[in-house]
Amino acid sequence: MTLMSRRAALLGAAALGSAGLARPALAAGSVTAAIYPGAWEEAFREHVAPVLKRQHQIDLEMQGLFAVDQVAKFAASRGAPPFDCFVLDPGPRITAIDRGQFERIDINKLANKAQIPAGMADEWGVATGAQVVGIAYNPKKLPKPAGWDDLLKDPWVSKLGLTGFGTTFGTVSLIELAKVFGGSETNVEPVFTELKKVLGKVAAVGTPAAMPGLFQQGQCDIMYTNTQTVTTLKDRGVDIEFVAPKTGAVSFITTLHIAKGSTNIDNAYKYIDAAISQPVQKALSEAPYFFVPVNRGVALGAGLPMRSLDEMSRFVTHDWAKINPLRAGWIDRFNREMAK
Amino acid sequence: MKQAFIRMGPALPLGLAYLTFFVAPLLMLVAVSFFADDKLTVMGLDNWRKFLFDSFHWKVVADTLLLGLKAVCATVLLGLPLALVWRGASPFWQRVLLFVAVMPLLTSVVVRTFAWIVILGREGVVNQLVLGLGLAAEPLRLLQTELGLVISLTQIEMPLLLLPLLSVMARFDPNLLDASASLGASPWRTLFKVVLPLVAPGLAAGALLVFASATTAFISQSVIGGGRLVYLPSLVWQQAMINANWPFAAVVAIVLLVSVSAVIAVIALAGRIAGGRVHGAAA
Amino acid sequence: MPAPAVPLRGHTLDVDALTVRYGGFTALDAVSLSVAAGEIVALLGPSGCGKTTLLRTVAGFITQASGRVSIDGAGIDDLPANRRRVGIVFQNYALFPHMSVADNVAYGLHARGERGPKANARVAELLEMVQLGAMAQRRPAQLSGGQQQRVALARALAIEPSILLLDEPFAALDRSLRLDMQMEIKRLQRQLGLTAILVTHDQDEAMSVADRIAVMQRGRIDQLGTPVEVYDHPATPFVAGFIGTTNRLPGTATAEGITLHAGATLALPHTLPPGSAAMLTVRPEQLTLASDPAPNAWPVTLGLAVPLGGQTVREVRCTDGTALRLTEPRRGAIRDLGASAHCRLAPGASPTLFPHTEE
Repeated sequence: MTLMSRRAALLGAAALGSAGLARPALAAGSVTAAIYPGAWEEAFREHVAPVLKRQHQIDLEMQGLFAVDQVAKFAASRGAPPFDCFVLDPGPRITAIDRGQFERIDINKLANKAQIPAGMADEWGVATGAQVVGIAYNPKKLPKPAGWDDLLKDPWVSKLGLTGFGTTFGTVSLIELAKVFGGSETNVEPVFTELKKVLGKVAAVGTPAAMPGLFQQGQCDIMYTNTQTVTTLKDRGVDIEFVAPKTGAVSFITTLHIAKGSTNIDNAYKYIDAAISQPVQKALSEAPYFFVPVNRGVALGAGLPMRSLDEMSRFVTHDWAKINPLRAGWIDRFNREMAK
Repeated sequence: MKQAFIRMGPALPLGLAYLTFFVAPLLMLVAVSFFADDKLTVMGLDNWRKFLFDSFHWKVVADTLLLGLKAVCATVLLGLPLALVWRGASPFWQRVLLFVAVMPLLTSVVVRTFAWIVILGREGVVNQLVLGLGLAAEPLRLLQTELGLVISLTQIEMPLLLLPLLSVMARFDPNLLDASASLGASPWRTLFKVVLPLVAPGLAAGALLVFASATTAFISQSVIGGGRLVYLPSLVWQQAMINANWPFAAVVAIVLLVSVSAVIAVIALAGRIAGGRVHGAAA
Repeated sequence: MPAPAVPLRGHTLDVDALTVRYGGFTALDAVSLSVAAGEIVALLGPSGCGKTTLLRTVAGFITQASGRVSIDGAGIDDLPANRRRVGIVFQNYALFPHMSVADNVAYGLHARGERGPKANARVAELLEMVQLGAMAQRRPAQLSGGQQQRVALARALAIEPSILLLDEPFAALDRSLRLDMQMEIKRLQRQLGLTAILVTHDQDEAMSVADRIAVMQRGRIDQLGTPVEVYDHPATPFVAGFIGTTNRLPGTATAEGITLHAGATLALPHTLPPGSAAMLTVRPEQLTLASDPAPNAWPVTLGLAVPLGGQTVREVRCTDGTALRLTEPRRGAIRDLGASAHCRLAPGASPTLFPHTEE
């Protein structure tokens, strides 16, 4: 196969997974941002776009793309980036850095720089939201669990809802569970060993998207999840409480990045600045989104296991450069171990 | 030549759309499956080998096709009597039954799927009934079992069976039933010798739609089936959207396409044979 | 035509006070009917009169609200349709389209568990009887209407039915074929000694095929009699109007007969109270024209004349406005349109007198 046909395949493949074939022609004073479809897209349309328009007369164009699609679509574009900004979770972020898809960021160009806690920005990007992951349980049906290993013990295990390595929160939770049994960031083998022993008792092994529904319906009464899910369910009147395990809650950040080769870099900075500004972060931390904010000026909600954002530096974090190469194998392994 | 062009003219836009939006992506999918790495830089059969020489993957293929066949059996077992009742009903009840049968199509698959969580869950409607009637001491495990999945797929896919079946039923001459009875045939004999052969084309068309839809029902499979039931569509999703391994995702997608098409071809052939016996011109 | 190997014995059919209701609608209102062995009775009437309902109730497709149906004196009300051994030929024949002609005919034999050479011989024999031996392997769709009907007949006869029901069997045939098939069915019925009921709305068909005719309206039998009886002596004005062409002449009953509003007094036997309003129903051939006035003749104005076979059908108008149709021999003088004449009863005619009720 020649280079031409390989590029054709890449382009076509990218087109398959994405909404549009070509980037729309932009007027001066606009910025194109990739955004996760669903809640993120709604939240940014409602709260970020108006701020950009009002303060800078910049139109925010959004492309609804999952992380994998953003990386693939950029790869297929070869020098003419299809959007100016990425939004990515830690795993795909590492992939994109490896592939040289980001411009470096100068934090000093951001007006809200002082409001960003330590560890929430680096040379490649700036956090726009955080996730705090731990254990959620129904206090009316179960005693409060103390640590990750309680998930696999009675009385919790028979009410446990499991999910695999398909999401960032699922992956980090299973790693933390592995650590309790002697595993590590690169060794989740103990999870499979321990899960195998109790698999018959486990209440549900669900897809991540189904977990809130399964919990709400009482199919499971304990699961690992993020604070956002807990607050959302609580807001709907579900009996649910968040617990930070004794080995510590896990946190990770979702970051905004400027696409390599963007011709719109000034507007991209203004977009990132708007997304992390106090009013926007405050709005996103409230109903119905309940994002964990990344701006010190936002008061933290009652459901969060910390008083201030700076405490988050003590939370458990992971090195996705090490996790990424192993994750596909874990997913495959989870399929096989769980399959009936 | 010119005449042929004029005759084919109106079909051209459709043909072009078909080429652009169906054939071309399909060819790209095939092309992608022959790359060895997830950055699509090296050609190779690695991903095909990885799929084909692994019994787990074959089990997933078998489970997926079996799920489709179970959904077909369940929809036929429930849908055929319903269609027979519909045929004998008054015009008013025919309209009511048709509406009830088609109603699932009017709600989104996501809503229908989550509704089944409410129905089949530990504290769901079915279990409340079972526990309330004292039929079981413990809640039944329905959600995240293949049984539960087949039950919900039966409801979700039922319109796809009923619509072609009812259109054949509507053209069915009721006198044939009376004729069969007057000739001494029992109702069962009438069903197997007269009704089934004559509605076979509609039944086959419906079964075909149900099979294609049930085997590829990603949302229902993953939400109701859960993480312990692995089917080809969720494998495609994992490989494409989480692992970003598009070549392997393409391999799985092609296997799904080919295996489902193969079964569909068999069902269609069976329907054609039955239909051919009705309308055939053989002297 | 070869005789059947198993000659069929005639059976009697008795319908006793049969009532069928659909919701609030009474389709059959206490209908009673006895059919003798080897007899054909035609159920004749307009659509909705209940004739098809009666047929389908006998066949067992409809359950009656009350009343009894018996064959050879034994009640069959509790038997489902598939155990009544009542053969039926449907208006649209209802042949099984997915089976060959031979399989259609063999269907009833197979349902009874009869297979093998004996059953095959029986099928062949029946097909020969309806002259379709060469068509055995064809599909119904490859046959003409008349051929399909013969298959339907052979199929119904295969089960050696005690009663044969014919539901408008000739309606879908064209006119020339219809007469052939009527003759054929009558011949088969005679040959096999079949008891049969024929449902029809065509009076000519009923007259030519049936031994007796039951004229039905509104779920009741108005009159049951031979074709000659119902034609010459209709029991009700409805029968008179439904069978053949009928003229209706209003008048007043007298002790000896009727005084017509058209202007004549006729001597006729009747049972109406003198002085009551009466209606004379009279067939076209029971009227004749004369040049001269007479006490039993009334003046008319001549209208159009249409030659019909050996006769001429003429329209005349009475002084009270009543229009009449009558037949006259063609050799008679062709009178002019608009000419005056006198109309009277033909010699020997005895038309029926009914009380005149406003409808």
